[in-house]
Amino acid sequence: MRRRTALLVGSATAAALAVGSLVGGVFAGPPSAAPSSGPPPALAERALGESAGGVTATTVLGLEAQVRRTPRDPDLLTQLGFAYQLRWRETADASFLPLSQAALDRAVAVQPGNPNAVLGLGSLALIRHQFRRALVYGRRSQALLPGSARPYGVVGDALVELGRYRAAFAAFDRMASIRPSLASYARVAYARELTGDLRGAAAAMHLALEAAGGQPEPMAWSLVEVAKLELLLDRRSVAEQDVRDALRVFPGYPSALTELALVELAEGRLGPAVSAASRSADAVPTLQAVSLLGALFDRAGKRALARKQRATVAIIERLLEANGVRVDLESAVFQADYGIRPRDTVELARRAHEARPSIYGDDALAWALSRAGRCAEALPIAKRALRLGTRDPQLFFHLGYAEGCAGDANAMRVSYRQALELNPEFSVRWAPVARAALSG
Amino acid sequence: MKRGVALLALVGAVAAVVVAAAFTGALGPADATASSHREAPLISEDPTADNTDLYAFVSPDAPDTVTLIANYIPFEDPAGGPNYYRFDPTVQYDIRVDNAGDGQDDVIYRFQFKTSVANGNTFLYNTGPVSSPTDPNLNVKQSYTLTRLVRTSGNSFSKTVLGTNLPVAPPNIGPRSNPTYDPYQAVTDLGQGRKAFAGPRDDPFFVDLGSIFDLGGLRPFNFAHLIPLANEAGQDGVKNYNVHSIAIQVPKTDLLKAPAADGTVGIYADASRPKISVLRGDGTVDAHGPEVQVSRLGNPLVNEVLIPLGQKDYWNASDPKDDAQFLSHYTNPEFAGLVNLLYPSLPDTPTSGRSDLVAVLLTGVPGLNFTGNTKADLLRLNTAIAPAADPSPLGALAGDFQGFPNGRRLGDDVTDIEVRAIACGYGPILAGALGLCNLSPNNAVGDGVDANEDAFLAHFPYVAAPNRGYEHTGHN
Repeated sequence: MRRRTALLVGSATAAALAVGSLVGGVFAGPPSAAPSSGPPPALAERALGESAGGVTATTVLGLEAQVRRTPRDPDLLTQLGFAYQLRWRETADASFLPLSQAALDRAVAVQPGNPNAVLGLGSLALIRHQFRRALVYGRRSQALLPGSARPYGVVGDALVELGRYRAAFAAFDRMASIRPSLASYARVAYARELTGDLRGAAAAMHLALEAAGGQPEPMAWSLVEVAKLELLLDRRSVAEQDVRDALRVFPGYPSALTELALVELAEGRLGPAVSAASRSADAVPTLQAVSLLGALFDRAGKRALARKQRATVAIIERLLEANGVRVDLESAVFQADYGIRPRDTVELARRAHEARPSIYGDDALAWALSRAGRCAEALPIAKRALRLGTRDPQLFFHLGYAEGCAGDANAMRVSYRQALELNPEFSVRWAPVARAALSG
Repeated sequence: MKRGVALLALVGAVAAVVVAAAFTGALGPADATASSHREAPLISEDPTADNTDLYAFVSPDAPDTVTLIANYIPFEDPAGGPNYYRFDPTVQYDIRVDNAGDGQDDVIYRFQFKTSVANGNTFLYNTGPVSSPTDPNLNVKQSYTLTRLVRTSGNSFSKTVLGTNLPVAPPNIGPRSNPTYDPYQAVTDLGQGRKAFAGPRDDPFFVDLGSIFDLGGLRPFNFAHLIPLANEAGQDGVKNYNVHSIAIQVPKTDLLKAPAADGTVGIYADASRPKISVLRGDGTVDAHGPEVQVSRLGNPLVNEVLIPLGQKDYWNASDPKDDAQFLSHYTNPEFAGLVNLLYPSLPDTPTSGRSDLVAVLLTGVPGLNFTGNTKADLLRLNTAIAPAADPSPLGALAGDFQGFPNGRRLGDDVTDIEVRAIACGYGPILAGALGLCNLSPNNAVGDGVDANEDAFLAHFPYVAAPNRGYEHTGHN
């Protein structure tokens, strides 16, 4: 009897917490009608000024305390598992990922087949770039939650990274037909972008933006994605306005600052670009922010500072790997960019390609081969990276590089021109190289 | 995922998933502009398409008419700048009426919104301080087209546009932006006894969320809980929050099948979003493809309390006429078992064979608002019952048959009514008149929040003016 009571209390507590989030988002978005134990999150968010991180931090503490009291409640453990993933997104601190794993594993141990715990494990595998594992969990949660849209997100995301585009797009289409929402519109947008349909992608992202319904973080995230597409569509001032709007609805939003740096650079303003990138890297030291900052320092002639950022990149990669995140692909591209140990880089890229046989897996491998001087080998792989018709300047530049070093200067010039037309500042480091090759 | 009442707190199977709704940080490729939608959120809340409550009643000041009000966007913080809450122009908002008892919508009122932006370069409501309603900083205005659709045969409808470019009431920002805020502004008189309204309002709902979240507690009955506490007065958890209302007032006969002058209609409201797909056949931007219903609401609480988590997407996307497929969740509510566990000293409420809930929620109550054997989750209104001179918040439970579950008035305390219904405490009047179960003291429980904090308006749209952002300093 006692045990039954404890279990009941546990699950009702979990439910109560979950309701708190359902009704308004304890974790983000509009204020929840939280019990009178504290200020509504939206107010707390505002009180914290630049960061909403503290809200989830508090949430995590609350959930941890609940779990200590009722350690065998699968719903509570699942919530905690998701909350740790949220903390990772806020802080880029990968040590939250093993914590998430432990909580979700325990949830599944207590209740095998808890649908949300399985979904959480899928989402965790995506974060860790373990796409085959993510696919398994995604499929399992599909079976556990028939008629629900969310599992299709995990399945589709995994399939994209595994290069199984037809199946991935079918999953996204299904997701959007079950439940049109920010989550499904954003995935359709990405798929359209992959197929080279930038206008269609922007249209879908605008639907996602409307569907954010004024919630600060989802709105800021959508605006940044729209801005990326606007840059590729050569509408720089629109992109800039989108990024600034993102920063207005969510002051200090790190990925908006990163994007702002890229917009500033596209507009030829190196100083403001450096300052935005360093604010972003300071706020949340993601691989992307730190490596961008390093490249910008290089461009500004600040070699020592640039080296420091690159050293930081290596440290971040090690921390990510230690916490189960596979960064082979990102590392391979980075090492190839800077000519670090070219032969090892090819091996790294091969491993990355094996784990992620996507167009970006192809791209990384082709790039590593080219930079190791194996251009004839690289060329067909670089072409394969463009098999979907993706209009990503990086893919065109890497193809051009392979063409050039394989001896076809004309083809190289065509590819470089395509890259620069899409974005004259497509890469801090390589756009000037492409420009020089065309003018030379 | 409606807000409704958090009785959901008692339901074991609630999603943890919302936790993941927020951050979507990036782990993108190094030094590149390639976008990384890989990190798109898996779960997104959808407040602008989230139907929170539906009301239907014979208008007290115009008893030949019926008023229908559907609310969206839960928990709007009145101080929600710089991008104030608004209707979503990509969402189709509908109030649907069944007048044939088959669960199908026969008359539809469709609200389609348009946002006009003075400065097209920004997405924000105001681009700086707003000192007057004509201030150029006031960037966003909304209007709507109201269309009435009537099913003619099969799946064809005749369409009548009742109005275009109808104004949406502005947010109530503060004394600088809105020196006065006329609660009746943006009421459109469409002629012939028809009126329409759309805009922000004070959330007319009232419920003690804080206590119900805490293990299904009802403060005035704290002593009877599995974990007893000292009794307290209830606290309104949605006090001082706003919602967005769409509302119409129309002659009864607009809703009924001719030539009836009175009868029972079944009502639900929903919100739909355009479905899109990856490959666009014709190269156009298909922003308004076929619509997918993402949220629906007839009776309060059903989605939260009765429908299991794994089926919520499906339930929201399905039509009331097909609700027989969910019958077992009404006849054998999992929730009833939890009530029994949490309130051990109260007499146990039956956990199966709940034909009473089927009547109240799916078919209408015989003798009150029964519409036949078709099971459909609709708010059923018998228009023949005249407005009560002295309405009781407990509606039919108190013998005031103009109120819930006969339609729903703004002041009806649906939380107490439904808690008692699930606990099989319908009270002596319904027990006597209709033979519904009446356990004692289950027929006296409630959350202790019995009225809205703001008075309702005397005339259409009845819902109180929105709370003002400037004065908004917190809740409770």
